[in-house]
Amino acid sequence: MSDYPQKLSSIIFLFEGLSDLERRETLIAYADQAKTHEPKEGQVFDFEDVRKDEECTDSVGIYLIRDKHQRLHFKVKLGPHVQTLTRAMTSILCKGLDGITNEDLEKIPQDFVPKIVGAELIRARSQTVYYLLTRIKTAARVWERRNTH
Amino acid sequence: MALDFNYAHPEALVSTQWVVEHLDDPSLCIVESNEDILLYDTGHLQGALHIDWRRDLQDPVVRDYIQPKDFAALCSSHGITPETTVVFYGDKSNWWACYALWVFRLFGHTKVKIMNGGRDKWILEGRPLVRDLPEREPAHYPVPLVRLDDEIRAFYEDAWSQSQKKQPLIDVRSPGEFSGEITHMPEYPQEGVLRGGHIPGAHSLPWKLAVNPDGTFKSAQELHHIYQQSLGLKPNDPLIAYCRIGERSSHTWFVLTYLLGFLHVRNYDGSWTEWGNRVRAPIERL
Repeated sequence: MSDYPQKLSSIIFLFEGLSDLERRETLIAYADQAKTHEPKEGQVFDFEDVRKDEECTDSVGIYLIRDKHQRLHFKVKLGPHVQTLTRAMTSILCKGLDGITNEDLEKIPQDFVPKIVGAELIRARSQTVYYLLTRIKTAARVWERRNTH
Repeated sequence: MALDFNYAHPEALVSTQWVVEHLDDPSLCIVESNEDILLYDTGHLQGALHIDWRRDLQDPVVRDYIQPKDFAALCSSHGITPETTVVFYGDKSNWWACYALWVFRLFGHTKVKIMNGGRDKWILEGRPLVRDLPEREPAHYPVPLVRLDDEIRAFYEDAWSQSQKKQPLIDVRSPGEFSGEITHMPEYPQEGVLRGGHIPGAHSLPWKLAVNPDGTFKSAQELHHIYQQSLGLKPNDPLIAYCRIGERSSHTWFVLTYLLGFLHVRNYDGSWTEWGNRVRAPIERL
């Protein structure tokens, strides 16, 4: 059984079938969509975590909503200096993790990142692609903890 | 009395406007080199080609640069000949543009320039970017006879000797990295250095001192004050610059060599990721 939710699995499957050139083009297309995953004016969230960490070039804001079926939906706002690959991963994760439960989110391993990004693009100074998943998991975990006590 | 300084090699630094006026010059090749590995794909100067510092300039197995035959093949495939003037630009205040320029110089390609302010300045000025890939006819680039490691590149042994002889060593990293307080660049993840500090005898002169907030290089007079008046460096000094992996120090190498006219500057590309991990390499901390 896959460790990945269905939506993320579909994206991974798409990328695994691409050539290097197609992979780059598709990542750019996802990066171009990053702004559509930003929170909208007036939108209310169950949890917000906006900060700039030491290991990141710019701020990253994670916004979380849990619906009545206990499923999570995310918005992400990135500072202007965030790398293109991180912006691509933002779109991928917002789509791929949409509607996931907290329990399933915790189980997702990071090993899907190179399947999407490819070995050539994963290198020193591109490690913030992993950072984004960590931030999303942390936001969900903190929110869960605060709401069960 | 105010002294009037010009850059030692003013022709090596061109403005964005100059690039606009020369976009169609067949004797030029514009090259973008970035840290953000997908940035070129999101849009670049018309006609600019992409040279990636890791994919195109580094040996895929051993930590070293490509061999002369690979450099010749790279240039040939991009339509670059020894007569082509290559204009480099990129992100991060032209860190990787200077790095790529330095590598081109390593193989003896002397017709090189930097677009002042890099990619950010171009965008700030509202100038256009395109996604079209340039079409350049392949050309013949003869295989360089040697790689100029002895002239502009330093290795561990050279840095060690420089330290022992108390000759100028410039550490261009942040003050926190120099002191050993941190082992990674500010705003970057750890790149695997086991020890913090600096090479004994090195002077801290962060690369950032050489640029304005918009990423352009400071004036010749300002640079003279920073590197020569304050630190007492002289253009004939045998000098080695280092950082973590050689990109920030190549930026400083460009400043010293082209803007201030220093004659014997070498870039220690092994830099702190080598020195700080090497068994028994001496380290100083503040």
